[in-house]
Amino acid sequence: MSTLDTVAPFAEIVAEVSRAGGETSRLCYQCGKCDVVCPWNRVRNFSIRKVVREASLGLSEIGLDDIWRCTTCGTCPSQCPRGVGQIEVSVAVRRVATSYGEFAGPARKVRAAGTSLASEGNPLSQERGRRADWARGLGVRPFAEGMELLYFVGCYGSFDPRVRKVSVAIAKVLQRAGVDFGILGNEESCCGESIRKAGNEEVFRALAKANIKAFIDRGVKRILVSSPHCYHAFTRDYPELMVHFEVVHLSELLAELVADGRLALTCSLGKRVTYHDPCYLGRHSGIYDQPRSVLGRVPGLELVEMPDCRQDSLCCGGGGGRIWLETPKGERFADLRLAQARETGASVLVTSCPYCLSNFEDSRLSIPGGDALEVKDLVEVVADSLDGVDAP
Amino acid sequence: MTTPAARFGDVMVVGAGMSGIQAALDLATAGYRVFLVEKAPAVGGKMAQLDKTFPTNDCSMCIESPKFIECDRHPNIEILTHTEVRSVAGEAGNFTVTLTRKPRFVDENLCTGCTTCNEYCPIPIPDPFNQELSASKAIHIYFAQAVPLVPYIDERCRYLEDGTCAICESVCKNHAIDLRQQPTDEVITVGAIVLSPGYGAFDPRPRGDYGYGTIQNVVTSLDFERLLCATGPHEGEILRPSDRKHPHKIAWIHCVGSRQVLAGGHSYCSAVCCTYVQKQVILAKEHDASTEAVIFHNDIRAYGKDFERFYERAKRLPGVRFERSYVAIGREIPETRNVTIRYSSDGAVKEEEFELVVLGIGLGPPADAKRLAQQFGVELDAHGFCKTDPGNPAATTRPGVFVSGAFKGPMDIPEAVVTASGAGALSSALLRSRRGRLARDRVYPAERDVSAEDVRVGVFACHCGANIGRVVDVPSLVEYARGLGHVAHAEESLFVCSTDAAAKISGTIREKGLNRVVVAACTPRTHEPLFRDTLREGGINQYFFDMANIREHCSWVHAKEKEEATQKAKDIVRMSVARAVHLEPLQESQLPVTHVALVVGGGVAGMTCALSIADQGFEVELVEKDEELGGMARRIRTTLEGLDVRDYVRTLVRKVYRHPLVHVSHAATVTDTSGYVGSFVTTVRCEGRTRTIRHGVTVLATGAGEYRPTEHLYGQDPRVLTQLELEERLANGDLGDAGAVAMIQCVGCRSEDRNYCARVCCSQAVKNALLLKKRRPDLEVYILFRDMRTYGFTEDSYREAAGKGVCFVRFEPPEGPEVEPAADDEGRAVLRVTVPDPVLGQKLALDVDLVVLSAAVVPLAGSQDAARLFKVAMNPDGFFQEAHVKLRPVDTAGDGVFICGAAHYPKHLSETIAQALGAAGRAGCLLSQDSVTASGAVCRVDERRCVSCGACLSACGYGAVGWRETLEGKRAEVNPALCKGDGLCCAQCPTGAIALQHFTDEEICHQIDAALSEEWN
Repeated sequence: MSTLDTVAPFAEIVAEVSRAGGETSRLCYQCGKCDVVCPWNRVRNFSIRKVVREASLGLSEIGLDDIWRCTTCGTCPSQCPRGVGQIEVSVAVRRVATSYGEFAGPARKVRAAGTSLASEGNPLSQERGRRADWARGLGVRPFAEGMELLYFVGCYGSFDPRVRKVSVAIAKVLQRAGVDFGILGNEESCCGESIRKAGNEEVFRALAKANIKAFIDRGVKRILVSSPHCYHAFTRDYPELMVHFEVVHLSELLAELVADGRLALTCSLGKRVTYHDPCYLGRHSGIYDQPRSVLGRVPGLELVEMPDCRQDSLCCGGGGGRIWLETPKGERFADLRLAQARETGASVLVTSCPYCLSNFEDSRLSIPGGDALEVKDLVEVVADSLDGVDAP
Repeated sequence: MTTPAARFGDVMVVGAGMSGIQAALDLATAGYRVFLVEKAPAVGGKMAQLDKTFPTNDCSMCIESPKFIECDRHPNIEILTHTEVRSVAGEAGNFTVTLTRKPRFVDENLCTGCTTCNEYCPIPIPDPFNQELSASKAIHIYFAQAVPLVPYIDERCRYLEDGTCAICESVCKNHAIDLRQQPTDEVITVGAIVLSPGYGAFDPRPRGDYGYGTIQNVVTSLDFERLLCATGPHEGEILRPSDRKHPHKIAWIHCVGSRQVLAGGHSYCSAVCCTYVQKQVILAKEHDASTEAVIFHNDIRAYGKDFERFYERAKRLPGVRFERSYVAIGREIPETRNVTIRYSSDGAVKEEEFELVVLGIGLGPPADAKRLAQQFGVELDAHGFCKTDPGNPAATTRPGVFVSGAFKGPMDIPEAVVTASGAGALSSALLRSRRGRLARDRVYPAERDVSAEDVRVGVFACHCGANIGRVVDVPSLVEYARGLGHVAHAEESLFVCSTDAAAKISGTIREKGLNRVVVAACTPRTHEPLFRDTLREGGINQYFFDMANIREHCSWVHAKEKEEATQKAKDIVRMSVARAVHLEPLQESQLPVTHVALVVGGGVAGMTCALSIADQGFEVELVEKDEELGGMARRIRTTLEGLDVRDYVRTLVRKVYRHPLVHVSHAATVTDTSGYVGSFVTTVRCEGRTRTIRHGVTVLATGAGEYRPTEHLYGQDPRVLTQLELEERLANGDLGDAGAVAMIQCVGCRSEDRNYCARVCCSQAVKNALLLKKRRPDLEVYILFRDMRTYGFTEDSYREAAGKGVCFVRFEPPEGPEVEPAADDEGRAVLRVTVPDPVLGQKLALDVDLVVLSAAVVPLAGSQDAARLFKVAMNPDGFFQEAHVKLRPVDTAGDGVFICGAAHYPKHLSETIAQALGAAGRAGCLLSQDSVTASGAVCRVDERRCVSCGACLSACGYGAVGWRETLEGKRAEVNPALCKGDGLCCAQCPTGAIALQHFTDEEICHQIDAALSEEWN
């Protein structure tokens, strides 16, 4: 006992964390369930329970890495018997850290992302003016009032070389289906979901306001997103600002178009495929069946499930702002996920989230035998199965 | 459908589990006509499915099934199984209940229980009684000891599905099967209703908790009960589902479906699982000592009487590990079907492989709770259980409808029994003017005079399912018995205690002219009354009976030596027959009952009990040692449920004073008591005078006290208080400018000196913490605990307190909290409480202004005096010992003496009230009799041989032996009403003048001779 450090609860910090949304940390009855289900504990020791406990006593270690670890995958809160909001607690602690300008270790990237978001509207230090470059020559129109759908491209879909290919596929598929859609181009800003989870509320609010203004100015009614993170922002975060837009995720729209016969999936794929449920599409938004129903309509496609699927899906590691942070080799959840995909005997790993796609592509190149597996977005599989649409 | 004519009764008991059975028996004994309605094909409820019961590990069926037969034979009880309630009309005193009797497709009056139908039935179905772990047939008897012992036909019967098979109908020689049977309605009018539908076990399937339903080797605790049980799917061998092999490494997972605010789960604690898991661990280790067991848990809630010791017993077993962590299933290993479990330990997550996983499933409301509530017009609480008032826990929201058992919330068996007696007391009070009007006496055939007959012994050997039959070769035992002298008949039976077997014994006695009966089975402790009754049914004196215990004394202790065990069983039976030959007929005496109760102790328990007995129409003498009534409750202001205790006690006191049948003595001490059940005489000194009270029953409600701590500077620093002292300060608004309060749990208990949990302190701490937070939301409140034992619905308050910012810190002795005076950062004088926090891995230093000790509840000296005077045993902790932990929780070993309240064990106010009502119900049963029966197996003095030495007088612990003046001087004399038949006096008597009948020297010597001589014949 005497070898332990002695600390005293810090009431002011307790209050600060509570104000920042971490009040539910008090509810913890220390059962350990969160640590048991946390994906981190498959790659290294990490106790979200301890983060919660520290928060409840005002003893958060804002100068250490651990407060930045939670990927907000949503596994532990969905199983917490006490109703602790581990995500909100993590975010609250990060807000406190942000307010003190503390960005420990790899979290310095959060500061960089915040700066880029504030100036350019994207976290990738890219020029705002080049946001629609991916669409050149595709006949994609700027959104105008009266159009059926606004396609909200997202930062990765606009700038990340791999995810840009997904955006192109989306445009082609939508055109094939005869969907009347447009994009915001330079007026689109990051949805702000991830920077909010990383604790920068100020930047989130600025981004949200900019987007809301653009939506209203252009008369947007229905928004298509390909990123589950944008989906979450528009369906959960923006309503806090008293706005409600109709939001549809790409997987839902594809399921609708296929079911209505507006997309005829005719080309046989001849592959075994496994589907990865992105945290923000599955656990956070409850969308599990639509992507599977689309895959089920692809001729010659055999869908197999990984052991951790649906509610138990294994996080890729990209949520909560972690997509910007360097995660050391051996600690990447995506590596585990690829191994799981390979064990099913599938040759294609399909997902429906730009973060997952990006993380899986990285892992594919860095783990032995990873290149035997193709990683695709759902829409790319659809495009492959459409007669006469060339995949980019 | 025509409306059938109504039948009349006094009380309808809905649900024939243990609680319903107890309510029915109490009310029937008190002289009311009872209809016992059960929707299952047999009575017994969940308890019938359990293997053993904690903390004594008694065989569950063995202690419950005699009650089935008691119900079945009781002239005032009519059992209606396979029957559901359709509608209820009327009001208290006059309810009209319409019942639907579901078709059983077998006529109960014609069926002999021969089971030929079952043999021929071609449709296998999973056995519902065995949790579908083994196969049965579409027509089957629900379980071997079922009452009624009549098969029923499951809906999966081929005839019922498509009309293509009716073989059972054609093979039944008695034409008892009627596949065209339709549901019929029956109308019964009663004055009162007791709802005892029990609970629903949490079903992990819908959510797929821990892979249940998809991973084969994940079973529920109820499944595991059946696996453990000798009458279970594998005759008591623990075989796992995937490959029917013995699992050597088993995990138990706590709180499945309980203590969670997740959709589909229960927010409350199910109150019984911690201890039943420990029981299962102990039993699994008894089955196979090499079993490795890991129990994954959060708080261990060993809050009941003797639970803490039971927990420690489980913990100390080699190869048993308790891990404080909730878990997740890692994976099922395809090759072995083993299951891995992920858990947190020492700050890291580990994964471990198990051969079998047992889920500690919680208790929910019964599946048909909503329908029942609607039909009976009673309200449910937020959790879907029957709503009750903490001040009157046996009453529902509708007058005349009472509730007992787990329908009012999770509880264990003794509470289900106590609340049954309580519901009985309230029903009896409501219907007292019609008591006895519809009652019938039991009529036995005339007793045959056998004095001129040759001795003809009948031997009935029991397999006890597999309990005996798996070890002892019963057929060869029967064959052996047939060859013994005087044995006129010998036969075997699967369960000799089942209704049909017992009825058959009566018949055989008559047909074969038997005049002695030996039953080779289990223990007379549980089954002797049943078989004596069977002899009376057979028309011979009930003392012509002997029980040869070939289970506890043989098969259970020699499970691995089958041949030797069979030889020993033969020896035991030979000895028993030798004794039986010499048994004498004995007569029992009837003792008149004084219709007055003495209640000792005027706290809430005593007052509630006194009032309830008086409400049933009997005089009560209430004796209180203080000047004022109220007891400990006067120091309590509120309960967690929000009851205003002061107001409640004031009302209760007023009711006591106003009740014409309750007579109160204040500042009174019991100085002496004598007599026996029905006729006690007690002397009370009261305000300088001495009064003599004649009474038929005694209730001891002497309460308990608060431990006076010596720990944590109590008594040295005025800033250190007990919870009761804090409660007083709270009531007086006297908190000062305190900014922070730390409460320390388990002060003075869960220690070597007091090895029990005081049960109430965790909830008390939560209650006071909530009051503090309500009054001063900014106040820092810490509760330092070992295991939060907020069992049952109080779990919700634990969470509420946490949500309001009360900070809970766990400690593990000896690394306990330390309290010392200190100065805080600003130099203010504070008390500094230091305690290691297991999650932080650091020590917390809490600077507080008040330290509140949750001091144990301890027995009072007054209870010890009462125990000595009234000859009531005490448990090792100094609390009154009940007659049977499970089934006679308010009775004592002394007939006519009952116990209730904190003197029995610490308990919450509503629990005290429930138990006081239970004691009142039991007392009422006795007081409603005109006489009670005293055993014939008592001592008798041969005056010619008595030398007046008085050795017998001092040997007797019950004061049963006295002097009688004769012409030759004084001689010893036994009062048969007081004699317990223990025979201590016989051992002391130097001349052999005093002898214990039914255990005479002659009988015992023959038994011993038979033991020593194989040739005896």
